[in-house]
Amino acid sequence: MGIDGMDKAAAERPVQRGESVTPLLELRNVNKHYGLNTVLNDVSIHVGQTEILALLGDNGAGKSTLVKTMSGVVQPDSGTLLWEGKQVELKAHTDAAELGIETIYQDSALVDSMTIARNIFMGRELVGPLGFMRLKEMREISSHVLKTIVAIEGIDSPDKLVGSLSGGQKQAVAIARAVHFKRTLLILDEPTSALAVRATEALFEYLRSLRTQGLSSVLVTHNLYDAYRICDRFVVMARGQVVFQATQQETSVDELIVHVSRG
Amino acid sequence: MNMSIQQVVTDEAAAKRAKVAGRRYRRQQSAFDILILFAVVIGASVVYGFISPDTFAFNSFANIQNALYTIPIEVGIPALGVGVLMIAGEFDLSVGINYIFSSIVAAQLATNGLNVWLAALIGLLIGTGIGLLNGLITLRLRIPSFITTLGTSFFWLAATFFVHGASSQPFAPDPVFASLTAGSVGVIPATFLWWAVLALAFWGLLERNRIGNHIFGAGGNKQAAIATGVRVDRTKLLAFGLAGATAALGGILAASYIGNIAPSNGQALPLEAIAACVIGGLALGGGRGTILGIVLGSALIFWIRDVLLLLGAPGFYIDAPIGVLIIGAVAVYEVLRSRRS
Repeated sequence: MGIDGMDKAAAERPVQRGESVTPLLELRNVNKHYGLNTVLNDVSIHVGQTEILALLGDNGAGKSTLVKTMSGVVQPDSGTLLWEGKQVELKAHTDAAELGIETIYQDSALVDSMTIARNIFMGRELVGPLGFMRLKEMREISSHVLKTIVAIEGIDSPDKLVGSLSGGQKQAVAIARAVHFKRTLLILDEPTSALAVRATEALFEYLRSLRTQGLSSVLVTHNLYDAYRICDRFVVMARGQVVFQATQQETSVDELIVHVSRG
Repeated sequence: MNMSIQQVVTDEAAAKRAKVAGRRYRRQQSAFDILILFAVVIGASVVYGFISPDTFAFNSFANIQNALYTIPIEVGIPALGVGVLMIAGEFDLSVGINYIFSSIVAAQLATNGLNVWLAALIGLLIGTGIGLLNGLITLRLRIPSFITTLGTSFFWLAATFFVHGASSQPFAPDPVFASLTAGSVGVIPATFLWWAVLALAFWGLLERNRIGNHIFGAGGNKQAAIATGVRVDRTKLLAFGLAGATAALGGILAASYIGNIAPSNGQALPLEAIAACVIGGLALGGGRGTILGIVLGSALIFWIRDVLLLLGAPGFYIDAPIGVLIIGAVAVYEVLRSRRS
């Protein structure tokens, strides 16, 4: 098909053994309504191991609510969630965090007025007696993380304030943090909407590399072209329902456009 | 696993630009601006004091000593707690009445025969409790702390009149207590030492302790902090408690120094403490600030009144320049910040 990057993505992806492989996260018959408004209607999807899944659909399709259900922020009215084949209940986002699920928000969930090192270790600070932080260690590990997990250009020190970073750099720091703390499923909410072209390329490199490291990602995005380049599988939602699912080989950008706009 | 991204910037000029920008931005978080402002105004005052010591007794021992005694109890100590709470993203407008109520209860207990140290401790616990109650109401009912503490300040004002009435309460502790709280070590007043020790402790908490990291997170980006597992409510509750504790401590030290407490005092404290913090570079929205800034902001507010009094300005003119200082200082910081970024 000659789509840029597709051949490379296919070559890097580990061979799937089809249905016999347990999905990482599965949602079965999930329903959610707010008052009379049905936001999720009998939704069944799964995220495979080492997979990049695209969650597509127009505004109001239910994508936001679905990922909030995955990350424990929203509790479904009915339906089942399974993590590695075992049923789980995510009563709060901390339950999801314990499983290794982390959401990277568009505004990157970092604190602008603090340094990179303090942000990386926010909530997971290395402490000595009485809670005093081992700042030197935190800075050294942060430096290492910045260089090895995602080598981010333009950041030479973990003491830089996050507010001075560009959107792409902030995303990278947030992803590096997630990888360092051994997350297994990343949910990225509109990650490229505020990024320049080069930063988008860099982000896709990170995601491909994360997949080979064993992480799965769910990409919520409006950008079908970006999604087609990087994702293994696509789920299209409309009016709270799943209207189309296909792997990258089974579909095309044009077909996805049709399904999304029809919704 | 080693992973490199494409096109590392090799252009030296671009890399240098980024480094300088980073350094500039880093400075925004330090108390650099207010340090310069402080140095300039104190320097100018000292110089003028030497030039014309009879009309402007700024450099006199009495003036300096008075400053060192008064700044901590008038605004310095309460501002530490108010400032940390502001960094956490919340406000406490009840610190003024807390200051009064806690110290009046302590003074009354002591005057009625209770061991003064125990009385002071009870006062401190009451103050902390008032702060914690503010926090619980704010966090459980999910209402703005501005509103909560506005409401509780009326409540505790009524409680003050109920417990004590409208007259002033005398406080004459035993010599040991008096010297430890209102005496001096050589020429350095005890109140100043209390302030210095507290400021150091607060600095340690804010800049070196995990709790401080959580305070900046809670105030700087609450969602981000929650997402990484920070117990934001618990962190804020601690900050509320600290604001109450420092208010009570300020009141008790003031009671010891002045010798009595009048319920009408302390009206201006919450706004003065907030003003001191804002002048000290704290952001009203939270997530940004330094202990040095709070300390210098407190000193500056005192300084401007002191200078006006020394120059013989009538009492009721004194507050206008403070308003100018608040607006002017923040305007200057904004200009400096936008110039750098």
